[in-house]
Amino acid sequence: MTTEVLLPKIGFSMNDAVLSQWLIDDGAPVVAGQPLYSIESDKSVQEIESPASGTLRILAAVGETYTVGTVLAEIV
Amino acid sequence: MSEVALPSREVLVDIYRRMTLIKQNDERFIAVIKSGQIVAPYYSPRGQEAIPSALSVSLTDQDYICTIYRGFHDMLAKGVPVRMLWAEVAGRTTGTCKGKGGPMHITHPQSGVMVTTGIVGSSMPIANGLALAAQIRGEKRVAVAYFGDGASNIGAFHESLNMAAVWKLPVVFVCQNNGYGEHTRYEVATSAARISDRAAGYQIPGVTVDGNDPLAMYHVARQAIDRARSGEGPTLIEAKTFRFQGHVFGDADSYMLKGEKEAAMARDPVPAYRKWLIKQGHATEASLARLEEAISVEISAAVEFALSSPVPDISELRRDVFAQEMLS
Amino acid sequence: MNATQTPASKPLNTIQAVNLALDEAMRTDPNVILLGEDIADEQAGGIVGVTKGLSQKYGKSRVRSTPISEQAIIGAAIGAAIVGMRPVAEIMLMNFTTVAMDMIVNHAAKLRFMSGGQTHVPITIRTMTGAGFGTGGQHADYLEAWFAHTPGIKVVAPSSPADAYGLMLACIFDDDPCLFIENMPTYWNPGPPPQPGVRIPLGRANILRAGTDVTVISYSRTVADCVAVAEKLSKEGVSVEVVDLRTVAPLDFDTVLRSVARTRRAVIVHEAVKAFGVGAEIAANINEHLFGQLKAPVGRVGAYFSPVPFAKALETEFVPTPARIEAALRATLT
Repeated sequence: MTTEVLLPKIGFSMNDAVLSQWLIDDGAPVVAGQPLYSIESDKSVQEIESPASGTLRILAAVGETYTVGTVLAEIV
Repeated sequence: MSEVALPSREVLVDIYRRMTLIKQNDERFIAVIKSGQIVAPYYSPRGQEAIPSALSVSLTDQDYICTIYRGFHDMLAKGVPVRMLWAEVAGRTTGTCKGKGGPMHITHPQSGVMVTTGIVGSSMPIANGLALAAQIRGEKRVAVAYFGDGASNIGAFHESLNMAAVWKLPVVFVCQNNGYGEHTRYEVATSAARISDRAAGYQIPGVTVDGNDPLAMYHVARQAIDRARSGEGPTLIEAKTFRFQGHVFGDADSYMLKGEKEAAMARDPVPAYRKWLIKQGHATEASLARLEEAISVEISAAVEFALSSPVPDISELRRDVFAQEMLS
Repeated sequence: MNATQTPASKPLNTIQAVNLALDEAMRTDPNVILLGEDIADEQAGGIVGVTKGLSQKYGKSRVRSTPISEQAIIGAAIGAAIVGMRPVAEIMLMNFTTVAMDMIVNHAAKLRFMSGGQTHVPITIRTMTGAGFGTGGQHADYLEAWFAHTPGIKVVAPSSPADAYGLMLACIFDDDPCLFIENMPTYWNPGPPPQPGVRIPLGRANILRAGTDVTVISYSRTVADCVAVAEKLSKEGVSVEVVDLRTVAPLDFDTVLRSVARTRRAVIVHEAVKAFGVGAEIAANINEHLFGQLKAPVGRVGAYFSPVPFAKALETEFVPTPARIEAALRATLT
């Protein structure tokens, strides 16, 4: 079952964020709860954990800005 | 403070149950918010668990609380069902408020959570009103108003303490002083050395307590509740604590003093109390692990329940504005 | 006349009428309590005597003189209402509602909705206002538009003592927050007595005077002027229909629109400042429903766009005068 990795809303006024780093390689296995990626908004840098276990399929690019709710990757 | 009798083992463990429920709930909220499955501003109470836990064991469902947007700990300690809390934060019809109030307005009269407000200071005037009704009716109920250190500077604080004092209302004012009003440090905003000093201005008892010490908090709260219940009037409790996740979740903590947050987190009241319970022989590792596991299961079920519940229909905009449904 | 007498069959003024209504409500329902500054008999039963005799009759627990603390007064009323009481809180002057806006707008009006219907706030907020006594810019404002604009609170503005009695009873026993506006300069004007114990339904306008040529819509103090102007114009063969809203919010658009559909001309009159007032909402509504059928644009008469002035000559001209009302009606007939 595929789980979507959605860009979360963190903090009061955040509407979009820069994807600053993937902490797991594309195609690599990942465990739920493991740090998966980090985002930067104008307020802070946050590390986000994986919502599920499986294989990571990256969809979003480092350095790009995405709005809340964007599907950044899939865990298959 | 003089030596007072320890509460029973049941009460001691009950305090821990509430504290760990709040802590686990907070950790799960953060995880779910980070997964993007729930979008809501989150005012984390992490670090402040002991205050309402140690106080609520001396209240019943018939007693009232009014709390504020950083109030999930107050609500859970008082007995709001976990699944209804989650469903409300997820904006579902199965939430406490049919999804129409959200996290800042959780209401659950059955457990005495009468008002949650998003306005700093507004818990106090309304708590006075709940206490007033109890007084006029000759009931033995107590109303608790929770608020933060920032709120002790707003007009409603002063009006409420004054009125509660002149009318000897059965209310307990609980200021959770975590050192910050939004992003402003206590010392920059507040003229009193201690918030409890202000009680003298209203001729009511004021006490400062380590809010992260469950036993101390229990005793101070118990005294204030007993005072109120016996018709002796209000008390101002200043419970000192610290918040681990900033003002709203996602906050950078650049406005804090360097190392301040780390030091507070190293003194995390929840594992500290857990350790103490086992060391003093009030509980075992096994019994607490079982309790924590049961809570974890309950929270998982609550998340599942919330995320699979329906969202409200647009027709809900016409309901609950007035008693009668609006026509358009 | 004091609170212990039964309702008389002779004329009474608004002070007496409201006093009677409060007495009736407190007598029949122990959950009715009164809060406000100076309202108990020890403080002379209210600044103009509206609550006279009530603390003596019902005790000082149910009739409480409060500190000067508008946020605390309304907050206490809200808290008590949430658990089943029916508090009547007085905010002495309508301008002082501004001190309690958070409690009124953020809490009283919204708790039913935000709680998903689990709690509600059956409070009545009594307040007085009105220009004419030289009280100046902070003691005479009509602010009903602010509250009519807030979903969840009802706004009631009686134009006579009998209406004040019946509408007050309706407000107290309504399950939602009601703001009840009493006009100060006309407090002592006598009028026909009410029907004892009878509530006048909220949200229903009253056609005070039937007419066919033009509809004038008003509430509170200006209703009497509208009736006088209607009388004057009738001598010229102009038939004016006077609609007294009684309740500003929820507004009885049904009655208003049916009247204007017949007369095809409308003027709204209120003492509140004309700009952005209740008249604008009514005019817009008439426009939406009756656009092609009107014989003239909808007229509005209200106070000048300034704070209430002190100097007598200014104050008198500041509010809608019979002359300005008449001019507005005539303008629709040309």
